[in-house]
Amino acid sequence: MRIGLVCPYQWDVPGGVQYHVRDLARTLRGMGHHVEVLTPAEHEDSPADDFVTFAGRAVPVPYNGSMASLQFGPLSAARVRRWLRDGHFDVVHVHEPAPPSLSLLVCMIAEGPIVATFHTAFVRSKVLAAWGPVVRPWLERISGRIAVSDFARRVQVEHLGGDAVIIPNGVHVAAFADGPTLPGLRRGVDGPTIGFLGRFDEPRKGLPVLLDAMHTVLRRHPGARLLIAGRGDADELTAQIGEDLRASVSLLGELSEEDKGAFLRSVDVYCAPNLLGESFGVILIEALAAGAPIVASDLDAFKRVLEDGAAGVLVRRGDAAALGHALCDLLDDPGRRAELSARGAEVAAGYDWAVLARRILAVYETVVLPGGPPVGADDDPAEELPTAGRRALSSLLRWGDG
Amino acid sequence: MLVGGLLVLLLLAWTAWTLTRLSRLEGRVARAWTALDTQLQRRAGLAEELARDHPAAVGSDRAEYLAAFAADARRPIDGDRELAENALGRELRELPQNLPGVPAALRSDLAGTTTRAALARRFYNDAVRDTRALRRSRISRLLRLHAGRPLPRFFDIEIPLDGAPADHNHAENPAR
Repeated sequence: MRIGLVCPYQWDVPGGVQYHVRDLARTLRGMGHHVEVLTPAEHEDSPADDFVTFAGRAVPVPYNGSMASLQFGPLSAARVRRWLRDGHFDVVHVHEPAPPSLSLLVCMIAEGPIVATFHTAFVRSKVLAAWGPVVRPWLERISGRIAVSDFARRVQVEHLGGDAVIIPNGVHVAAFADGPTLPGLRRGVDGPTIGFLGRFDEPRKGLPVLLDAMHTVLRRHPGARLLIAGRGDADELTAQIGEDLRASVSLLGELSEEDKGAFLRSVDVYCAPNLLGESFGVILIEALAAGAPIVASDLDAFKRVLEDGAAGVLVRRGDAAALGHALCDLLDDPGRRAELSARGAEVAAGYDWAVLARRILAVYETVVLPGGPPVGADDDPAEELPTAGRRALSSLLRWGDG
Repeated sequence: MLVGGLLVLLLLAWTAWTLTRLSRLEGRVARAWTALDTQLQRRAGLAEELARDHPAAVGSDRAEYLAAFAADARRPIDGDRELAENALGRELRELPQNLPGVPAALRSDLAGTTTRAALARRFYNDAVRDTRALRRSRISRLLRLHAGRPLPRFFDIEIPLDGAPADHNHAENPAR
């Protein structure tokens, strides 16, 4: 199958949607399909796989509580047309097409089967209530809609007027399950260790709650260590940690993909104390794949991934005392940790890219009719205005006949 | 005068644009229906094959039912396709889990077809919903832009989307 993927966010800036598109493209290529990616990039000369085509720069604009990558104009449109015509795709799969972005532009131009994946779950209903009807004429060209979670699906149903099948975010399970640990940090030997990963200066990630909970943990496990990985202002964090905890907390800084796997394979317990706003929680699936027992706050997205507590311990969000006790109980109980680890591996297997790519392929096969023409591009309206007028008129007459 | 002319022009442009949208949607509904019909026909065909070639695995009573329901799904006697497909779907869901002696190819064909039928039904109903929304808008009703065409119907059959770790639809847990 020939598949064209469209990522609306700049390829050379790290982000969940970019990783999703990259991993999906690689998995589908590994299965023998022809896959190409169209995406904006901050720098045209950024390194990328050879199946990636850059469609120029995008301008970040605030949209619905986060940043969208605005991309319109004749240059981008010309590149979209060329990419579509050269690609001869059986299906085009756009990601996050509702904001004004490259994906929406592709929806406007492409003629043929379009599949879309909706990622956003944060909703400012006023923005979407106003924006939904504006983009509706182009979103209604999409033949098959996918949402990565129930929450993303609800955005669809409530604001963009459509339903979607749910196919979650994926991880490469094998890359997290097998591999080395961080030096001097073997699980169950050099511990006990508790891991935290994320932007630690964002309050919604909940690190202050975990730091507070560490007091409880240290009373029962004086040797316990908290390992913090991720981006943020280290000096500010050091000040926040305080004298009493300083000896038990290590900052690892930002980790590469390999080191992230090693980190998750090393810790005795992974903790996700987030307070709000997590739509999916890929990190939890990565931790499950790496065999790390998890203590997480009871966000809906986390409850879903951890199967309401069967695959990890859930704690009331923001409750430092409860978090401390949950961590202590888990550190005390190697049997329970082994049990969670084993259940976690089963859960993670369902999120493996190999499994999810097959489900996404089933969506493609459903919208692509056998023998149908490849996806094309409409004519450039600037060059073809007279034709467009004639076409509109003839469609007016034809429609009247029927 | 000028304002009046401008308004007429705007209305014309809007009408042409809406007609383009409607005809596009008509195409989408037709394609989605073809996909759904193909998958359902294939499902009925596979069910017939299962009943005919492997009555021992299914159980001979069940095989008879299965064959009858599959035939009815292909050519519903009373014309109610939804009812016939529901009956066949129920029968297929109640089959023994592992179906001893049935070739793996047939079993995976049947599972794959059921999944695709579920997707196709979702996408068909989406296309119908989008069409109905546009047809319901006040101006398109006033101008009778549908030109007397029948409103596309939803196709309501029960066919769960399976195999998904997060593909069940339980809303927030009220207990917490």
